[in-house]
Amino acid sequence: MMGNKGNDVTFTSRFGFICAAIGMAVGTGNIWRFPRVAAANGGASFIIALTVAVFVWAVPLLIAEMVIARKTRLGTVGAIRDFAGRQFTWIGAWLGFAGLAIMFYYSVVMGWTLKYFVLALQGVFNGEVDTQAIWSTFTTTPSQTILFHFISMAIGAFIIYKGVTGGIEKASKIMVPTLFVLLVITAIRGLTLPGAAEGIRYLFNPDLSYLLSGKTWLEAFTQAAWSTGAGWALLMTYAVYTKKEEDLGVNCFLVGFGDVVAALFAAMAILPTVFALAPTKEYAYDALAAGNTGLTFIYLPALFKIMPGGYIISVIFFLAMAFAALSSLLSMIEVGVLNLQNAGWGRGKATLFVCGVGFLLGVPSAYSLEFLNNQDWVWGVALLISGLLVSIVVMKYGVEKVRNEEINHPWSDMYIGKWWSVCIRLFPVMFAIVFGWWVWQSIGWYPDSWWNPLETYSPGTMVVQWVIAVIIFLGLNNWLADWIRKGSGGTVQYPISSEDIKEGK
Amino acid sequence: MDGMTIFFMILILGFYIGGFIYFANKAALSEKKKKKS
Repeated sequence: MMGNKGNDVTFTSRFGFICAAIGMAVGTGNIWRFPRVAAANGGASFIIALTVAVFVWAVPLLIAEMVIARKTRLGTVGAIRDFAGRQFTWIGAWLGFAGLAIMFYYSVVMGWTLKYFVLALQGVFNGEVDTQAIWSTFTTTPSQTILFHFISMAIGAFIIYKGVTGGIEKASKIMVPTLFVLLVITAIRGLTLPGAAEGIRYLFNPDLSYLLSGKTWLEAFTQAAWSTGAGWALLMTYAVYTKKEEDLGVNCFLVGFGDVVAALFAAMAILPTVFALAPTKEYAYDALAAGNTGLTFIYLPALFKIMPGGYIISVIFFLAMAFAALSSLLSMIEVGVLNLQNAGWGRGKATLFVCGVGFLLGVPSAYSLEFLNNQDWVWGVALLISGLLVSIVVMKYGVEKVRNEEINHPWSDMYIGKWWSVCIRLFPVMFAIVFGWWVWQSIGWYPDSWWNPLETYSPGTMVVQWVIAVIIFLGLNNWLADWIRKGSGGTVQYPISSEDIKEGK
Repeated sequence: MDGMTIFFMILILGFYIGGFIYFANKAALSEKKKKKS
């Protein structure tokens, strides 16, 4: 057995853990969502709002996740059982499943980046090609999308099977620094193009009137939630493998800062490129309005074609995309694998099961873009609920108790003040505003059929899928609580009695 | 580019890159200290 068996496993170095944690946070959303959303919401004003969101939403939740993991040393199911109490085990199952439901289609997305990396290597984007036709042909050829989905899942499975130190840590220590270097190279190329200043103006222009718009703040909080992975239980899973005397605050701030730095580099690569190379200003606006996939897979390849040095930049750009996707995919797979290991499964068997099932359940998304968009909508918004559940679990345990006893230790690198407690207590309010805004928006998209679960982005489809999941997890609550061994994971074997579990200690 | 855009660009990049370096340095120094003791 080459992998780690779940017990007594830690990242060999803090650098390794930080790379894995930043890799978890930095995904395709940093590259294809942030530049578009920032540019559309007032540039510098959006970044100011995002900064607030990172510090009041993302970092406090990341710290909370690390606390739960380090206190219990178990995957999501066992962690919530031991931290909040046996009757709340279903919350752990929800947290784990929401991450896995995203993994099913995220592997398909990584497959797209791999396919485009191969196309870039072949020099396809340098010739006279119709990039819209390439994208349409690719996404409507299931044999291709399923093949690349399979390759992505296989790469993820191989790394996860190699274990935490030999797989995740080793891969992250190579991929994450390389990703930053690749983004810097593409940013330098973008910034040195004649006419790049227009893109920079679009990104950093301080139109402060946007700060008075509620939409800017809601988009900023959504970006902070989706980009940093706060509340998704991904950091909760990785933190199980940290050493006993590992700091929380500095590590979580590093994840928050690292995530935004990666997004800024991506924006400085994409926006100057779009504005410098677009034949008209309208074309540039169309590119930014074309959505994540439209910008990345249709407009940018078309611009790489006319960019001096476009061949090498297109290769570097899609390699960066693939690294960003893979480093996030690994954390999602590990969520499932750690839970199964806690139930007594071997790492090899758990990896094969999670990735095998993940591949099969990802096939519908590889087959149909509409299905993928539906899943992205349903489980993307569900992650906001996951964040709420994490905050509720912490409040149940005692916010100040957590801060005093679980966060601020003699070995901590920084003191976490009362601001953290305030943010956690205010979280349900922040959640209600952001979540309510998304539901209200989606009702507006389908004024006559918002209740219809068959509409791709309707509130009806969200509620139906969530309710099914919650009913299943509530029904399985006791079985799940017994299924996970007591204190079976991580580095420290806590002697937890059933009384402790009952009281949520 | 106007002066305000340049000012905000320096401010934002300085804050985030500076913050990242500050916390990375803090983590590195702490590890060094722990290894020594």
